[in-house]
Amino acid sequence: MAQEYTEYLAVHVLNEQQLVSYRTLSRALKVHCNLAKQMLYDFHHKQNTKKPGTVHATYLLTGIRRVTTSSQTNGIHSQDDEDIPMQSSGPLPSSSAAEPHDSIPESSIIRSILLVREEHLAQAKSTFDSISSIHIYSLECNGLSDIHTLTECNRQIDVNYASEDPLQAWKQYGTIQNPNVKRRVGKGTAPPPPAAPIEKNPQAKIAPSATTAKAKEAEMKAEVKPAAAVPTEKKGSTTTSFPKPVQAKRQNSDIFKSFSKAKPPAAASPVPADPDPKGEDDLMTGFSDDEGLDDDELEKEVGEAAKTLQPAGKSKKEREAELQAMMEQEDEEDEAMEDVTAATPDAAPAADVDAPAKAEEAEEPKETVTIENGRRRGKRRIMKKKTVKDEDGYLVTREEAAWESFSEEEPQPKKIKTAAPSQKASTGAKKGGAKAGGGNIMSFFSKK
Amino acid sequence: MAIQNGDSDGALLSKPSDQEYPSLNRIPANYNPLTNYNLPKNRHYTQQYADMYFARLAQLKPAVEQVAAEAWQDFEIAGERARRVDRVLDVRQGELCWVIGTCYMEMPLKPNVLDDIGKEHWIAAPPARQKYTEGGEGDQVMLEDESGRLRLTGGALRSVLLVTGAIVAVIGTENKDGDFEVLDVRVADLPRQPPRWERDDGDTAVRGKSVSKPRPSGGKVAIVSGLSFSGDVGDTLPLELLSEWLLGESAGPDDQQDTSTISRLIIAGNSIAHGCPIPSREEVAAAALKSRGQKKYGYDSASYNAAPTARFDTWLANLLPSIPITLLPGESDPTATSLPQQAIHAAMFPHSRAYMQPPAVDHSSTEQERSWFTSTTNPTEFDLQGWRFLTIGGQTLNDVYKYLSTNDRLEMMEAMLRWRLTAPTAPDTLTCYPFQDGDAFVLKECPHVYVAGCQPKFETGVIEGPQGQMVRLLAVPSFRETGEVVVVDLESLGVEVVKFEVWEGG
Repeated sequence: MAQEYTEYLAVHVLNEQQLVSYRTLSRALKVHCNLAKQMLYDFHHKQNTKKPGTVHATYLLTGIRRVTTSSQTNGIHSQDDEDIPMQSSGPLPSSSAAEPHDSIPESSIIRSILLVREEHLAQAKSTFDSISSIHIYSLECNGLSDIHTLTECNRQIDVNYASEDPLQAWKQYGTIQNPNVKRRVGKGTAPPPPAAPIEKNPQAKIAPSATTAKAKEAEMKAEVKPAAAVPTEKKGSTTTSFPKPVQAKRQNSDIFKSFSKAKPPAAASPVPADPDPKGEDDLMTGFSDDEGLDDDELEKEVGEAAKTLQPAGKSKKEREAELQAMMEQEDEEDEAMEDVTAATPDAAPAADVDAPAKAEEAEEPKETVTIENGRRRGKRRIMKKKTVKDEDGYLVTREEAAWESFSEEEPQPKKIKTAAPSQKASTGAKKGGAKAGGGNIMSFFSKK
Repeated sequence: MAIQNGDSDGALLSKPSDQEYPSLNRIPANYNPLTNYNLPKNRHYTQQYADMYFARLAQLKPAVEQVAAEAWQDFEIAGERARRVDRVLDVRQGELCWVIGTCYMEMPLKPNVLDDIGKEHWIAAPPARQKYTEGGEGDQVMLEDESGRLRLTGGALRSVLLVTGAIVAVIGTENKDGDFEVLDVRVADLPRQPPRWERDDGDTAVRGKSVSKPRPSGGKVAIVSGLSFSGDVGDTLPLELLSEWLLGESAGPDDQQDTSTISRLIIAGNSIAHGCPIPSREEVAAAALKSRGQKKYGYDSASYNAAPTARFDTWLANLLPSIPITLLPGESDPTATSLPQQAIHAAMFPHSRAYMQPPAVDHSSTEQERSWFTSTTNPTEFDLQGWRFLTIGGQTLNDVYKYLSTNDRLEMMEAMLRWRLTAPTAPDTLTCYPFQDGDAFVLKECPHVYVAGCQPKFETGVIEGPQGQMVRLLAVPSFRETGEVVVVDLESLGVEVVKFEVWEGG
């Protein structure tokens, strides 16, 4: 025991020069925080007898402090007495029983909890009338330039012990227990608090470097999406087994659950496959980072997207042709789109970039689909659009096959997709048009 | 370095002992929220505010009438009996009478929508006002009802607190200038105060259980406001100290034992420093300066900083395993700005949300489970250990403050209770929901404890009503500025303050 904490403190305080608070220590050694306070004291005492000044401490004092602060409002009794007559003339002389012993300031106890550096300890103690407890709050190697850096200790705890279930683990630290606490578990709830720190995820750390060009698109979910992109990529090239993507999936769902409790299925599906509940909106994945949209909202959006791309709608072929001639880029994409949808219905040009064609040549795993309790899971091939800048500085858009895992509730990827997007889009557009133009202006003002 | 100071505090400044520290359990308290200030799900904002004044007058008239009639039934001057007049316009010159109406304060510095529009075109907007009054100069008090307005004068007005929206009865005569010379003023005074445990007993009785069981002590409740989580690092140490103290980890065993009697934490407003969805005029101006003259109104998503909310969420999630929390929004919190402010949405709390009531109310869950972490309205009312608590985020009081020349916040809190109005100055100078059928800010039952958050300093007092009602008033200061937390004993309603400080430099 003694060795354990001496060693821990020697390593962290002396060698690594970290701040160690009693909470850090209690969590690290899984001991009661009061014991940790004693350990800190013991270490501090021993080290400083060996060699004074090696370890610096901060103390936490509790007690009744002499009234010096401006916030003290009601310590002065002589004035209170004078105040009473004033108040009798006061607020509302009206009320039938306007006995004006109203709002007599009364003295109440002010307890102080004061954090102080060891060099100011004596001075601080002298401001107390009585001290109910005093203990070492933290130890640090060299003096503390800014005492506020101590917040770092608790932040570290939040980060490092995020996986602990507070309802169980905290008992050993001496946290006041509450038998009545009720925490919701199940869908829509975040994982056991607090803050599962995303940046701690090693995959996420690697990911940004792997995914280069599409970083911009993924910016919003930078910490999340790449983490998912990596496994898919790997799978494409090396056919690693499932566990990894599954893990990634869980992480994703954790994060997205916290955003969209309204739509657990969407949240539960892995991010790269996120458009699968809304397969038809391939076109606009570039600017869709909407996770929790309703279906009709999506439809509307698809409609709008289609409108922007094919302003005249499907019926007006000439215009479309004209448009195609004019905007080669757009056109290309359109065609590509059809290809994509033809090949794999639920295409999602969402994720990875570096899964090149050779990856797909190297190994061609079969599309696998497993159905378990109503949900389809598996891997499938999708076409991904990739825009890169070539040596001459032109933007080149290429189609690449990639593998992604998916899980969805729909019975089967329908074959509608080649026709569906445009059809749906046109209807959507019409709907949208009617809504925008056809309404009576009075309906805007009428009560809803 | 061994600093010993008596026996008790030496315990933690000694070698690690084999002493077993008992596991502390927090005392439970009965929490029973009311939903008076919840707005309907589908809200309309097309109604006129005038309806609110009419509704308020109609609601409070009977109470004021009763008080006034009792007080003035034998009121006589020079043989002339005071006569009750129904409408403000029926007052006849030279006739001693009394009449009831709504106060309206005409003040030169009071914000005015026309001035507001004018301000947009000024080069420099005038500074925000601390007070609307200039020591009474140029202020006019009017009495208003459905029929019209009457200007009030007289020395009696100076001895009472009056703000726009208060319903009062005045006695006096109309002078030759057409002004009403006020001799005395009466207000509704405190409404009925429910006896302690009334609602809970009622509930148990409805469920057919026996009522007369002894109740264990509910311990204490800690009230804090103005946590002001901001995006900056470096000033959150007192918040950490507060959290450790509430969890019972810091301080000595005796203090920890004491802390375990704190059965609930109430956060009364301004938990996040700049969370308000509508930037203030000053913020807009500052942003315009930054972006070189481009004024951008409303919400700017580019400048959104998620860090404060995330930090607040983590802070709550760290406390919730040990202590139940009631959270009120305040002026700077991310929710609607108009009163009654609706609860901060659960989406803001991805981690602490697990302790909230699920969206679909599960009727099998117990009261205790449902109210572990409650994000409520501002103002809000709830029964805690049988006591009725009325808690406000502070805006209403801060606005009343601007009308009056006095600086005594407790006096204003008392006046608000005696007017039976939680937000008297809404809708005049405070934004609020245009209530249609009845003003929700009319106080129907007198609380036992009236808490105002986000006040400049801690104050407390007890007032008494005509029927022996006793109300504990509490002005809770901003934690960010003072480091103070107010702890109220749930048996005696005694108050103590815990102050968290960091000794900076010398």
